[in-house]
Amino acid sequence: MMRTIEVLIVIIIITAAFLISSFFAVLPSPRQVSPLNLRRLALTTLQSLDSDYALSEVVFSEPDDPVWSQLQIALSACLPPNIVFNLTVYEVHSEGGTELYVLKKSISNAESLGIQSDAASYLVASSNVTYNYRIERVGASGGGGTLYILNCTDANGWWITGYTAQSLAGDLYNLLSPYFQKTIPINNTQQLGQVLNGTALAGETLQNAVVINTCGEAVPIPSGYYNSSGVGYDASHSSYARYSYTLGQRVRQYNWTWVSIVGYPLYYVSNTGLFPNEQNDWGIYGMRSVGAAGLNAFLQGLDNQAYSYDSGWITGEPGLVYLSSNTLYYCNYYGIYPSSYQTSTRALPSSILSTYHLNVTSCIFNQVGNWIPGAVYRHASVGSTNYTGSLFALGLARTPDIRLTALGLLCDYKPRLYRSDYNATDTSRLVVLQLGQVGGV
Amino acid sequence: MADSTIDHLLSVTVFLVAILLFIGLFNQTLQTAILYQRHRSLAIKCSDVLDNILLNPGIPVEWGRSNVTPTGFGLQDPEFKQYKLSPYSLMRLQSLTGTPFTYPRTGVTYSNLSMGFGNFLFVPYSTAINYSTATRLLGTNDTFGFKLSVTPIVTVSIEETHAANPLTLAIEVAGAGFPLANAEISYCFLKVNEKGGQSNPSYTSLFGTTYTDDGGSAVVNIQSIDADTAYAFIVYAHTSGLVGTGYHERTIGDTQYVLPLIDSFEDKRILLVHSYNVHDFGPPESSVFFNATFVLLTEDFTLRELPMENSTGKLGKVVYGQGTDKQWSNVTIPTYNPGILIVTYQSNNEYGVVLMPWGLSSMAFPVTFGEDSSGKEWVATDIRQVIVNTVAYQVKLEMWSLEGYQVISK
Repeated sequence: MMRTIEVLIVIIIITAAFLISSFFAVLPSPRQVSPLNLRRLALTTLQSLDSDYALSEVVFSEPDDPVWSQLQIALSACLPPNIVFNLTVYEVHSEGGTELYVLKKSISNAESLGIQSDAASYLVASSNVTYNYRIERVGASGGGGTLYILNCTDANGWWITGYTAQSLAGDLYNLLSPYFQKTIPINNTQQLGQVLNGTALAGETLQNAVVINTCGEAVPIPSGYYNSSGVGYDASHSSYARYSYTLGQRVRQYNWTWVSIVGYPLYYVSNTGLFPNEQNDWGIYGMRSVGAAGLNAFLQGLDNQAYSYDSGWITGEPGLVYLSSNTLYYCNYYGIYPSSYQTSTRALPSSILSTYHLNVTSCIFNQVGNWIPGAVYRHASVGSTNYTGSLFALGLARTPDIRLTALGLLCDYKPRLYRSDYNATDTSRLVVLQLGQVGGV
Repeated sequence: MADSTIDHLLSVTVFLVAILLFIGLFNQTLQTAILYQRHRSLAIKCSDVLDNILLNPGIPVEWGRSNVTPTGFGLQDPEFKQYKLSPYSLMRLQSLTGTPFTYPRTGVTYSNLSMGFGNFLFVPYSTAINYSTATRLLGTNDTFGFKLSVTPIVTVSIEETHAANPLTLAIEVAGAGFPLANAEISYCFLKVNEKGGQSNPSYTSLFGTTYTDDGGSAVVNIQSIDADTAYAFIVYAHTSGLVGTGYHERTIGDTQYVLPLIDSFEDKRILLVHSYNVHDFGPPESSVFFNATFVLLTEDFTLRELPMENSTGKLGKVVYGQGTDKQWSNVTIPTYNPGILIVTYQSNNEYGVVLMPWGLSSMAFPVTFGEDSSGKEWVATDIRQVIVNTVAYQVKLEMWSLEGYQVISK
């Protein structure tokens, strides 16, 4: 009998253990087990309402403005019927490093938020606020800082369809002049000759300058010395490739960065006074074709190799190319947003890196196989770490997007932007949207 | 001795029965808790997968604008951040609900995203992304099933309440849970100019704006419209950041018309085919002449025509038979900006207009993608509000487990 009593006691103990554990092991309701992510829903609702800055306008309006009721209607309309909301707007005061939130307005479509709720916050800035910033100019820490823009009235452009070299020069001036110490437009080929001779046009520093050729595939050629035989003209091949060679040497001598904005670099030479009756095979007078020999000669000059006429075509057609992640970062940094993909039909081959001792310091587009659609190539002689001349070539199809040129240079020089602090009041408001679920279990 | 044995036997029996009973009870509690944990993890997985789909553009990022099969699945618009979706990636999803059809002349089968007669969107199966590819790319194949529904938040319904002189159109604008009061309505009325005989029709357009009343209703009267005038009426309703679209057409006859079929996303090429080639209404019928136009939605919610060269195939005819005439025509959309392809058509005695969105959001088409969720044991759901090229959409993901005890349907 004693054994049976002991067993009964054991049963009582186990029953007590089960009851106690059941009491503490409370299982959640199905809604808590599989909840709707109300926080994400609230955030995406606020983002949707602010997609055309409508929410930003409303939250800065007076509390009795009818636009608040319009916002309430929009909120009710875009949320599912079983979701209730409470939207609260706070004014953000920043004083002495601490932030104070002052309630401005609250709207709701229910007295309570049901059995379960969650909230998301969204900070909006007033459209009346202007953010100032100061630019660190290229060359501020010494060396260079001059930007030359070829704006030659006596030279024509090619593959800049829809633009003129002068209109592109104007756009480039507006885009890039804030980032350089001095921006000098070169207004004719005579001034170009002067700069090539090492004479400054307006007291600027010649060394380490950037020279942007706005004529596309054509390059302005000064008459006189620079089109003479052995300097600009290769009499044995009846070609002005020799001028490209001299240009390469000057780029090396002054450590310039030569910028080709579109197509095959240095494919034509142009001077309307020098070639009044000659055309580029496509009906553009004042221009002569040099062909692929121009770029080859330029690279020879840049690498200080002996001149050798080489008309071999070296570019390729990778087709659709995409901005590199580094370039995309600087799109946001400088606020320049060209299309993230472009068509490249004149990409330079990676083989030129070893042939001409070049280093890619900035890849504007992702490399496609052996083709580099757009990059800054800096030349360094064997055994040296100093750069002596550079080429920035965008091997894209026409027509040029000048923003890519500006972006490429900024990606490479990386001038910093110092954002100014502002102390204006009532510039930011915090919007908190709290959502609750009603009905069901 | 006998008492002691009986005591032993009784106590052991009772003890064993009690132990078995309690094991069962504890087991039941543990099993329920484990099941709840599984459901909880399914809900978290559902939320994660939804964000994964909506916050990445896929690989390559522009797959929606090309014919390639992506190697990473995502619907975000690559030109934007946050919850903004690509109208082209959405177009390339194989519809769960639309009935597919095969165009007999080419043998190509099309995914059907159309919204009834006159509002067509057909995407070839060869370029549409199917469910198995998406689950494989998301890494959920054989573990989770899902259904993705992308539906416009604002619905705009249009009804013809008076047929002619004036033509009266009643517009109702509503959101997911409430009518949209005091919403601004921008509309475009396209009247088909039927020219008779063997010639291409044209259209004239009329633009206007109005507002909805407190009940979300508005009425538009169009003067000088006969009962036999074919037209299309496109509406954009917007308020406080919410934008919705609605459309309505009247056609004269509904058997001989032009069907637009997407041929290549990459080349922006659309095939225009004779309706008899698809529906086989009976004996061969006459040619259908058409005039195609592409319009863009501007920032002030008006439609702007984007000129198309004749070489893009904007004028032409399609035939039913297999003679020397072309059975279908090609038209090339001039841009990747979302808009609407408007095709006015006429045959001997039928004429009208058909619309096709270029970019899902242009006409606020919904799309449902994935597997049917009905009959599943436990389905977790999550929703997000998104923007597809200015139009507000709601995305709902339903997800269920394909493995485990008591979480899958038998």
